[in-house]
Amino acid sequence: MAIIKTTKKSALSPPVSETSPIGWMRKHLFSSTFNSLLTIVTIYIIYITIKEVWVWGIADAVWVADTRRECFNISADGACWAGVISWLDSIFYGRYPREELWRINLGLLFLFIWMAPLWLPRVKAKISIGLTTVFLYPFLAGYLFSGGDKGIFMQIMFTAAIVCLLGNTAHSVIGVLTGRSLPEFLIRRFGNKNASEKSQRYILLGILVLSLVAVYVWQMDWKVEGVPWTRWGGLFLTLVIAGIGIASALPGGIILALGRRSRMPLVRVFSTSFIELFRSVPLITVLFMATTMFPLFMPDGFALNKLVQVIIAVCLFNACYIAEIVRGGLQTIPKGQFEGAHTVGLGYWSTMGLIVMPQALKNMIPNIVGNFISLLKDTTLVSIIGLFDVLGMLRSVGKDLPWLGLHKEPLVFGAIMFFLICFVMSKYSRHLEVKLSTDHKN
Amino acid sequence: MAISNNKKESVHIKPKEKFDFFHDERVRSVFYQLLTAAVVGGFVWYLVSNTAHNLEIRGMNTGFGFLNVAAGFDSYFKLIPNVPGVGTYGRIFIIGALNTLYVSALAIIISTVLGFFIGVLRLSSNWLVSNVALAYVEIFRNTPLLIQVIFWYIGVFSLLPKVKNSIDLSGGTGVLLLNNRGLYMAWPVPGNQLWMTGAALIIAISAIIFLRRWAHKRQDRTGQIVPTFVPSAALLILLPGAVYLLTGMPLGWDIPKLAGFNFAGGASLPPSFVTLLVALSIYHAAHMAETVRAGILSVGKGQYDAARAIGLREKKVMSFVIIPQAMPAIVPPMISNWMSAVKNSSLAIAIGYPDLVSLFMQTSLNQAGYAVELVGMTMAFYMVISLTISWLLNIYNKRVQLTER
Repeated sequence: MAIIKTTKKSALSPPVSETSPIGWMRKHLFSSTFNSLLTIVTIYIIYITIKEVWVWGIADAVWVADTRRECFNISADGACWAGVISWLDSIFYGRYPREELWRINLGLLFLFIWMAPLWLPRVKAKISIGLTTVFLYPFLAGYLFSGGDKGIFMQIMFTAAIVCLLGNTAHSVIGVLTGRSLPEFLIRRFGNKNASEKSQRYILLGILVLSLVAVYVWQMDWKVEGVPWTRWGGLFLTLVIAGIGIASALPGGIILALGRRSRMPLVRVFSTSFIELFRSVPLITVLFMATTMFPLFMPDGFALNKLVQVIIAVCLFNACYIAEIVRGGLQTIPKGQFEGAHTVGLGYWSTMGLIVMPQALKNMIPNIVGNFISLLKDTTLVSIIGLFDVLGMLRSVGKDLPWLGLHKEPLVFGAIMFFLICFVMSKYSRHLEVKLSTDHKN
Repeated sequence: MAISNNKKESVHIKPKEKFDFFHDERVRSVFYQLLTAAVVGGFVWYLVSNTAHNLEIRGMNTGFGFLNVAAGFDSYFKLIPNVPGVGTYGRIFIIGALNTLYVSALAIIISTVLGFFIGVLRLSSNWLVSNVALAYVEIFRNTPLLIQVIFWYIGVFSLLPKVKNSIDLSGGTGVLLLNNRGLYMAWPVPGNQLWMTGAALIIAISAIIFLRRWAHKRQDRTGQIVPTFVPSAALLILLPGAVYLLTGMPLGWDIPKLAGFNFAGGASLPPSFVTLLVALSIYHAAHMAETVRAGILSVGKGQYDAARAIGLREKKVMSFVIIPQAMPAIVPPMISNWMSAVKNSSLAIAIGYPDLVSLFMQTSLNQAGYAVELVGMTMAFYMVISLTISWLLNIYNKRVQLTER
């Protein structure tokens, strides 16, 4: 009599009430009388809403027409998307010359190439890549977008940015293929295995200088047509303002946050009052301050254009918000880290730069993404003071003669566009938060 | 002897302090602070001197004297009377500030109530309901408020019917009407003896507070639970109701009536006000819902399980265990949400509601100049508001900490 079975008996499948759709519905939708009632009412509300939206936005909508009148003739109740479609270029690029649009697209492509390695698994030196995105990419994009003659400073920065872009791309390709960094790869290729570290460094330096000189010589003749800032607009302008806003607010915010936590009373008072001043007022007042008071601040014969004024205002405003995020990040670092760093003999800047900031920044990334989302949304305010950002363009559709009075559709389109951008980013920041958290909460 | 010897040897010798001017931390600290002060001071001085110079060149006036000058314009919506051409810029400032506070106070109340409601729906066990609440939150949080404000204004409140075809929100009684000139509603007109009803209401409320305290103390002492809900409700309704009826219903209603091209009587709110109120309430309710949800979820599940294990009923778990612990996590973000509601009310400028920014900062600036003073005063107003709120928040935080430990 063998009562001990040698084979494992498979587990019973869960009861039907747990796995079937009907079981699921009973549990999640109709668990009680009240819940059932709630479900039915909600289904009715959803039905009404979706039906209305469907009929207005898709079923009765007009997609092809030349004027608003034509839209009306085809369908009086539906949305007139034809107007939005004919303005699509302007909504994205503003009044940028149409034959020069490739420059904007190229700039965005470069940004993508530049930042893509941050997400690739085998690439090294991600912090340097992130830093160069903040400090070098703006010069490359700035020249691509504005064009015209380059000053000597711009020539140098442009060269550096191009070299960095090339090196960065090579670095990430090599990284993905072999898991090595660019310098390691170059030394393997061109260096002498037996040579000392110092002479190998000379080889790297030589390659760097050579490529800098080559690019510098090339860029002296390379020139694109100048586009004045007044022709910038649409989503492009919104992204430029928000992008510069976040890129320059990061260093500014870190300095302000360190100032606020400083042990020197005077520095602390200055930083705190600066942060509190800008955090307690609405962005629109800061923008008004920029357009009305900045001209008074300037010395004789020196005038900032409106775009620069707005960008400065956005940077000042956002730096204060970033400062609070950084301060929050610094507070999560236990005191032992500071004391440990002091014990091994590090000074203030080494402690901050090598020990505290790397840990704090990791905690701050989700909040910084969140800050970028709200900055992107807030940037629509610049349309109030007369810049043609994406909202300015959306509102111009209804003032264009063929589409006179077409206000609702462009706004709905803009809302959907912002929703997609912001929703994806906020989901991503949520994902980052989970991925980066090293504590064992759950 | 050995011990005393040891003691003698371990006498603490204070090291002779070597003062090295260039490597002393205190000296460096003072130096850095002086440097900061010099840089900031120099920069401010540079800006001020440039500004003074520019103002002189352009022949612009400065100083706050203009506040006593009569303003040549008026606001179409105001809480205090103003005569155009007589009312001063100072009065315009007060009108604008009151308008800002009025719309943001109402928006704060509505968004808080709506936000709590949606936050609770978000945690509902009903899959459909919680996902509808989630959709609401995500849609309104991820689109710019300015687009929402303009959409409500152009897409909804401008398309309302004319005065003759007003929409009756009160179902045919005509006490709440909506048309393209705004929202019209009946307004109470207090009679002579209404104060007695008010007094009765206050008495009822204090009696309820007293009753609840007594019940609470009794429960602490004896463990018996005295039902307070029904007596409180009865007290709240019956006492003022009886007084109101006995004094002969001293409350009239001023109902809006169609007279000519517009309604007369009652109270009315312009479309821009209603738009801003609706947009702010909906937007901030979405933020509030997230705050409430996060706060309730921040209370560990063990708390719920433990409360259920000792036999508390679902409702009591919520009101005695979960909510009191969630409040410290909800209140600070809730108050910063209120603060951003006050700040966001400045978007009124896009739809022409005469708040502080659009009335004082924009219109007055165009009319009178005085850029520095006007911008400074507007910013100072918002700063005072937010400093007051954060001061209150600090008091709350301290109280919560005290009761916690």
